[in-house]
Amino acid sequence: MAEAAQSGPTKASAGPSRSLRNRRLMTHAGIFLTLIIAWELASRAGWLDPLFYPRPSNILNSFWLIYFKNGNVWEHLGVTMSLVFMGFVGGSILGIVLGSLVGLNGLVRRFLKPYVIVLEATPRIAVAPLLIAALGFGATSKIAIIMLVCFFAPFINTLSGVMNVNAEKLELFRSLGASKWQILRKLVLPDAVPIIMAGERLALTAALSGALVAEFIQRDQGIGSLILVYTRNLNMASSFACIFTLTILGFLIFRGMELVDQYIAFWKYEAGRERVSAKRRRAMRS
Amino acid sequence: MPDSRPSRGYRFLDAMVRFVPHLVLLIVLLCLWEAAVATGMITSIMIPRPSAIGGAIVELYVTKGTIYKHFFITLTEAVVGFCIGAAIAVSLAVCSSLSDVFKRYVIPYAVVLNVTPGIALTPVVIAWFGYGMGSKMALAAILCFFPIFVNTLTGLVQIDEDREELFKSLGANNTQIFTKMRVPAALPLMFAGLKIGLTTALIGAVVAEFAQATDGVGVLMSRFSFQLNMAASIATLLSMTVIGLLLFYTMEFLDDRIVFWRRESRRAAASRARARSWQSQIGK
Repeated sequence: MAEAAQSGPTKASAGPSRSLRNRRLMTHAGIFLTLIIAWELASRAGWLDPLFYPRPSNILNSFWLIYFKNGNVWEHLGVTMSLVFMGFVGGSILGIVLGSLVGLNGLVRRFLKPYVIVLEATPRIAVAPLLIAALGFGATSKIAIIMLVCFFAPFINTLSGVMNVNAEKLELFRSLGASKWQILRKLVLPDAVPIIMAGERLALTAALSGALVAEFIQRDQGIGSLILVYTRNLNMASSFACIFTLTILGFLIFRGMELVDQYIAFWKYEAGRERVSAKRRRAMRS
Repeated sequence: MPDSRPSRGYRFLDAMVRFVPHLVLLIVLLCLWEAAVATGMITSIMIPRPSAIGGAIVELYVTKGTIYKHFFITLTEAVVGFCIGAAIAVSLAVCSSLSDVFKRYVIPYAVVLNVTPGIALTPVVIAWFGYGMGSKMALAAILCFFPIFVNTLTGLVQIDEDREELFKSLGANNTQIFTKMRVPAALPLMFAGLKIGLTTALIGAVVAEFAQATDGVGVLMSRFSFQLNMAASIATLLSMTVIGLLLFYTMEFLDDRIVFWRRESRRAAASRARARSWQSQIGK
């Protein structure tokens, strides 16, 4: 992401040379270290209250504590991630299926539109207390919240992807006598895949947020409640260690989704195109 | 072209005709829902009757009027937080678009902020800014920062080279190129970012209220939910929808006025206004 945004119009398309890149990386690291050291020194000099603004050294120490010495973060992380996974899969499947059904039917679309607008304006995470009250404490209501939060982006994106069918391609398919099912499977859905994947990416980020909100309200287990408890006890260093854990996790999720995107919507990427055509060549030869 | 447009009365009638089926469907759905709860097909504790929700709305808005205080508190938190976040995001984006070096060293931190679920910061933000409105504004600002930053920056760095050459050949200086070419070109994308940011700012305010607050729609809602007063809870949720719609359409209106050249009707109106002002200057 940073790479793509960096390559301004002034630079050559090949990007900066290797030595230049290394030097820049060093500068990045230098700035980062300077900031960290300034923070640490400010805290030690008493300008920043370590009770509220933990020292970097304390945060590092907390990392060690929660991961290895006490090792209590693993359990909470596992709980949160399994909830996120289940809710994400459920919500996005629901979103894609309903989105394609609605997208293919003009009448349903017309009558559903006002509700979609209303739903879009509502902060969907806000339904969390309601769902918890209706479904009780525990994993069910958490998964329901995550599903709800995950549902919308895939739904809307599938809807718009399915609706924006290329008219000429559609005509070609029709003139070749393709059935409705074939048109859906071979034309509409593949064309919609990139935008659906964009929706999925949004949904996954939303899923993590939904899980955190559910845990903030329920305060039983999971990384969200861990952050809440640490902050309540003014153990800010551990709280920050958990937050940075989520940063790393968020980064991994981002990269993971990119890889999945490259695999599923392979024709958007040069490498993916080559991989698939090589595979097809092999299959044809045999 | 006023003559090619249908008359005002006709358009109103047309809109009504299109509106009626929607209304009928809504009423039928509500009646079905009401009947399902009344016959016991749906437990009324989990999903209240529409009439009960209507009653709760009347109570909240008319007879007791409790909602207004909370409504405006949440609205203020979201809007102030949004303004702070948007101001920081836009100024950082402008600086990044002006200086490659600045951009290079700011973007990694922005990306880190983006991959961290901002909501995870809720408890920390509350510890830092207290239980009052400050923490809600701060969370709203943090949550709305990234979409605005990224969209504004993307808009500012995309340069139409032909256009730039035209500007240069007409002797425009750098300031003119920035204010007359790059900023207008970036505005549509920036407004898209601002719209997303406004929604996320509202989410930030509400979530911070869930975590810890005394006033606000979020508090009201969690209070009603834990009393199992689902009808009032849903009524409160609908008031959040109202806030969301209010914010969204305000932004849409601003988008329409400021980025007027993207819509045909607004473009025509703007050019008419300019023609009038020129005519008055010439003295005709």
